[in-house]
Amino acid sequence: MPWRRLIITASIIAPLLALFAYGFMRDARYIHSPLIAKPAAPFAIELFDGTTLNLESLRGKAVFLNFWASWCPPCRAEARDLESAWRKVKDQNVVYIGVALQDTEENARAFLREFDITYPNGRDASGRISVDYGVWGIPESFFIDAQGRITYKHTGAIRAGLVETKLAEAIKGIVTAQEGKGEYQQVR
Amino acid sequence: MLRRALLLAIVFLPRLAAGAVAPDLEDQTRALAAELRCVVCQNLSVADSPSEMAQQMRAIVREQLQAGKTPEQVKDFFVSKYGEWVLLKPKTSGIGLLLWLLPYVALTLGVITALWFVRRWARRKTLTAQIPIAGGMERVRSEIAREHVEQPDSEDTSPRAELLRERERLRAELRELEFDFQSGKHSEADFMALRSEIENKFGTLIERLDRLPAESGAHAAKEKRPAHTPANKTPAKTSDGSGRRFRRWQLAAGGSFLLLFGLALGVFLTQSLRPRMSEEDTITGDFMTGTSGAATAALLQQGKQAYAKQDFAKAIEAFKLVLAQEPNQPEAHAYMGFILAQAGHGDGALMAFEKALAVAPSFPMALWGKGMVLYRDKQDYAGARPVLEKLLQLMPPGEERNEITKVLAEIPASGGPPQKASAVAPTAANSAQTISGKITVDAKLKDKIDNQATLFIIARPAGGAAGPPLAVKKIDKPSFPLSYSLGHENVMMQGTPFAGPINITVRLDKDSNAVTREAGNLLGDYKKNPVTVGSQNVDIILDQLAQ
Repeated sequence: MPWRRLIITASIIAPLLALFAYGFMRDARYIHSPLIAKPAAPFAIELFDGTTLNLESLRGKAVFLNFWASWCPPCRAEARDLESAWRKVKDQNVVYIGVALQDTEENARAFLREFDITYPNGRDASGRISVDYGVWGIPESFFIDAQGRITYKHTGAIRAGLVETKLAEAIKGIVTAQEGKGEYQQVR
Repeated sequence: MLRRALLLAIVFLPRLAAGAVAPDLEDQTRALAAELRCVVCQNLSVADSPSEMAQQMRAIVREQLQAGKTPEQVKDFFVSKYGEWVLLKPKTSGIGLLLWLLPYVALTLGVITALWFVRRWARRKTLTAQIPIAGGMERVRSEIAREHVEQPDSEDTSPRAELLRERERLRAELRELEFDFQSGKHSEADFMALRSEIENKFGTLIERLDRLPAESGAHAAKEKRPAHTPANKTPAKTSDGSGRRFRRWQLAAGGSFLLLFGLALGVFLTQSLRPRMSEEDTITGDFMTGTSGAATAALLQQGKQAYAKQDFAKAIEAFKLVLAQEPNQPEAHAYMGFILAQAGHGDGALMAFEKALAVAPSFPMALWGKGMVLYRDKQDYAGARPVLEKLLQLMPPGEERNEITKVLAEIPASGGPPQKASAVAPTAANSAQTISGKITVDAKLKDKIDNQATLFIIARPAGGAAGPPLAVKKIDKPSFPLSYSLGHENVMMQGTPFAGPINITVRLDKDSNAVTREAGNLLGDYKKNPVTVGSQNVDIILDQLAQ
């Protein structure tokens, strides 16, 4: 019976082809984060202004956490956008935190000066915070709601408009399971 | 039971071995790091990767072990951050267990299928030899050949009716087999074997029918009708309900093909996976994508070296090969762009830079190339400015960044030629802005002059061996002695000032191609190089023969 044979052949070949297609179409470098909708890992970071910032102390506020490095072109591409977005909301119940990783203090400071960045920034010298957030491609941004839960993750350069939208969602506690993706640079 | 134990041992043994307690912290850290995937490099473990990230991850592993965490707890920590992707060996629970068991399940199914086929063939052989009813084959054949046979009622579900229906199926199958044989679909041997199998089944069926109590004559008579009308419409089926039989050689060929395919896939697939050589590289290569990572990287390097030595022919060849293997390699496109720009093909160069930028929109080299071609070659200041401004934003502070700032300052706000270019652009008549002299051929090499050759007079910035020629003059079929003058109009990239200490060389090129270098070309250089613009009597003798 040709139909039966056709169905059997198709039922064997189709899943194999689908598997191959999936394998070839996906970005082999991309690591999906298991952190979305989970509590954000607590950390304390020494900021460039000498003070210490503790994430736990920001409960009740929506947090935009951005990992960057001065040597990473996509981080430079988004820097001005982030600062302008921050200036619009700095008086509201939100906090921006920048975490420089795999960077020297001098270069990181020069970066902040160059882009005139005014939101709190610190350096993760040991890489502990970066690993805690499963960072692998920078810039990498996390949105944390008032309860300290990660609501959205974006790998790569992010636009100011998206930051504003996702922060507004974080304020309401809305979680986006789908990760965002922009142009990124792998960490070293 | 023993089989199950063996299977579990195969699955768990490597894990048990890996989980064995290491004698000290360093060994334990290394053993554990070897099980974690480096997030930067792929295909390398955290233990083997030299990357900064892997170093930091190793430090965390050590720290957590030191704090008294078990290896499982440390692995769970990394899994909670990066997902199960971070484990080089999938877990032996949940979906991970499926990955471990699937190959064994597939193997077992394969063996069972193979055994089933072997048994089927063996049964077919033995069946051929037996005819179970009284009267033997003759009765079977006469029953098969009978024109009018008893037909059961379609709603009758008695055992006799079932057997009668089966008998009709076998008759139809036999008719189809004979038709197939006559139309050449079966060999004689296959036909005989298949026919005798059906006949055997038919014999068994007749025997079972004989054993059943006879039906009433009226009932039987009522159901009688010509065999060829509805029975012909009975779907051709084998007695076991499967579709068309495969011939033995088909199955053997199919099996061998699958085996070879599996082996080839196993060998080539493992060979085709490799660590990525660059940001844009993939982990597949060789037969999978036709690219060899190591080979592409080496070719790219070769091209860059040739470019640095200004051996453009070799560089083009290398970059072309890279692009044949990886059509989206942005670095190769960008270098091709620079070569084209230097050869005066602004449009081609722009296209090459655009190709590079289509793949990597923030690729600094391509942005620089595009910006400079738009600015200097096309004098499209409005187009050049945003490109260079984007590049400026991407570049960290340093010499390169200063250079971009300088160029941006040079670009006029709107229209008109570049400030710097207009300041230095000389008129053709201005002899103070040219270099002139006479070119002759050494007496010993006069017989080596090719009448069809082209003369290239090349000016390069002194000390800038790695840079492109500043200016080139091409003269077809020259006759010697030849007076020349080289000026701003010969500059390769429009807008570049024809100034500074310059080295002048000449080449009488046999194939007239500026980028290839072949034996038999005549070469010469000005013995008092470098010269300044405005120099006269820069006389050159073609006194070297390229080997």
